[in-house]
Amino acid sequence: MNKKDLKLMFFLAYKNIVKSKSTFLVIVAVMAMSFLSITFFSAIIDGLSYEFEDSMIKGQTGHLMIEPSSEESFIFNSNRLEKNIFKIPGVVGVASRLESNILITFKNEELGAPVFFIDPVDELKVSNFHESIIEGSFLSYKDTDEIIVGADLLEQYAPKDDTKKRFNLRVGDHVNLTFNNGYTKEYKIKGIFKTGSKFSDDKILINKKEYFSIFKKENISHKILIKLPSRGLEKEYIQKIKALGVTEQINPWETKIGMIKQFIGSLQITNQITGFIGLLTAFATIYIIIFINVTNKRKQIGILKAIGIKKIIILGSYIMQSFMYGFIGVILGNIIMQILLALFVSHPLAMPIGDVVPLLTTTKLLTTSLILILASIIAGFFPSRKAANDNILDAIFGG
Amino acid sequence: MIKNIIEVNKLERIYSNGIIKTYALRDVSFNIKSGEFIAIMGPSGSGKSTLLHQLGLLDSPTNGSIKIDTEDVSKLTDNDKTNFRLDKLGYVFQSYNLLPELNVIENVFLTSMAKGLEPQDYILRAKDILERVGLKDRLYYYPSELSGGQQQRVSIARALVNKPKILFADEPTANLDSDSSKDVIDLFRKLNKEINQTIVMVTHEIDEGKKADKIIWIKDGILDNSKNV
Repeated sequence: MNKKDLKLMFFLAYKNIVKSKSTFLVIVAVMAMSFLSITFFSAIIDGLSYEFEDSMIKGQTGHLMIEPSSEESFIFNSNRLEKNIFKIPGVVGVASRLESNILITFKNEELGAPVFFIDPVDELKVSNFHESIIEGSFLSYKDTDEIIVGADLLEQYAPKDDTKKRFNLRVGDHVNLTFNNGYTKEYKIKGIFKTGSKFSDDKILINKKEYFSIFKKENISHKILIKLPSRGLEKEYIQKIKALGVTEQINPWETKIGMIKQFIGSLQITNQITGFIGLLTAFATIYIIIFINVTNKRKQIGILKAIGIKKIIILGSYIMQSFMYGFIGVILGNIIMQILLALFVSHPLAMPIGDVVPLLTTTKLLTTSLILILASIIAGFFPSRKAANDNILDAIFGG
Repeated sequence: MIKNIIEVNKLERIYSNGIIKTYALRDVSFNIKSGEFIAIMGPSGSGKSTLLHQLGLLDSPTNGSIKIDTEDVSKLTDNDKTNFRLDKLGYVFQSYNLLPELNVIENVFLTSMAKGLEPQDYILRAKDILERVGLKDRLYYYPSELSGGQQQRVSIARALVNKPKILFADEPTANLDSDSSKDVIDLFRKLNKEINQTIVMVTHEIDEGKKADKIIWIKDGILDNSKNV
């Protein structure tokens, strides 16, 4: 193989593509659609998984969660710890919470519910409750006689055919809350929130000051949630927090999402299986189309051999064509995918768990692109090798 | 003394289908001198085209030998045969067999390109030969835009562009009307006279055969010595 062979190879490939524009466009379109069919579904699943995780981070865990050491029920001296952690450069927000269960009474009906005692100001930097208010407004620092209620506790936001017991409460209604020490107090509903996560929307949010007045304990918390600039920095910040002398458990969000992690794991396995089947289907489609295309060129291949064109040049020109089908198809698929992703960023898919934006990682994008290009090269190689090895007379005259 | 450009000795081509053997050529021997215009003639199924395919290295004989330009081509490997065809032989097929994705000039200069000539040289050569076959105003037409006669002339130009030792033509006029057929045969005669081109042509038209220097008659796969004199 020398420079003149490569030149001729390229010339033949180029002329074949240019002269057979419709074939070229069809194959490129199939390649692009194959690329989309593989990546788009996968991107939605990844986006869904990301959204699930994000809803847990924003509602339940933060990026890091400090919990009492195993022999303690509380984190003591919580205020100082929060302040120290917040001083660590890069930390976006720190919020402590206390948790309990309460009995809600409204118009002679009773219902048990979990409650988060929160600092409304700190919570703004860590969680998404304030962004998820669908009626009324979020708690302010001063609101001690008002509460925020999760939509999952209310009839008007219940899914159809769901028989779980709920209240028909509105913003401005008053309810009695009985705490597990027997203390009862009337609170006004200030707002209703709906994050889309079942793990958050069944909660009642009360100002943390109330815990201190009800349970007569101060400067303690059950959990301290820490928001970092982004995911992936957890290990680094655990070290930084440990360096403050913290003896409590410091857990990254991945270790705190339990069922969700299993669910996402199952989704990812499904994603991999469908991705693999998608690749196989794409490979088969591409192979068949290129196979038919090359088989239709059998006579031309015979003529080329008859007039003295080397087999390697003929084979190379068809592989080059197949590469071009794959390469341009994948480029087109990438462009369409990027347009779709941009569209979904501005108009996310509305799903029960919240707005989902398809997520396509560079690794997945590159892997899929390379596999499809490789598939098209392989699909071009075998039929063109067969045609190039055919007897000249059989190829020209059919045999 | 004019040397032999082709020497065929005891050539056999047998097609096997299980235990059944069909002799397409049997014990064929003859010589062709450089610069001769030879017609191979015979009835349908007599083995004319099979013989031409053996001589043109498009097929391999079962037995016997073929020497072209003193080289025993029956011993060449596939790759060597390809190079030999490119360097020394030219073909004109019955159904033209032009490449539809290439225009006239590209069809013609393809083999020169394959030989590694510079673009200015192979374009010049192609233009020159196309002018000689009367197609200088059709350089950028595609085969589908040409008449049968014009396509065959492109095919002849393609066969001649590398100045082959021998031009093989397999019933080159079979798909043409009588005027175009006459043009093609006259062109062969002209090339043979003007540039001393050796031409071996299969035809079933006696009028065309008569324009050749010599006719090799073949019947049932063997030379018809009653007609070959």
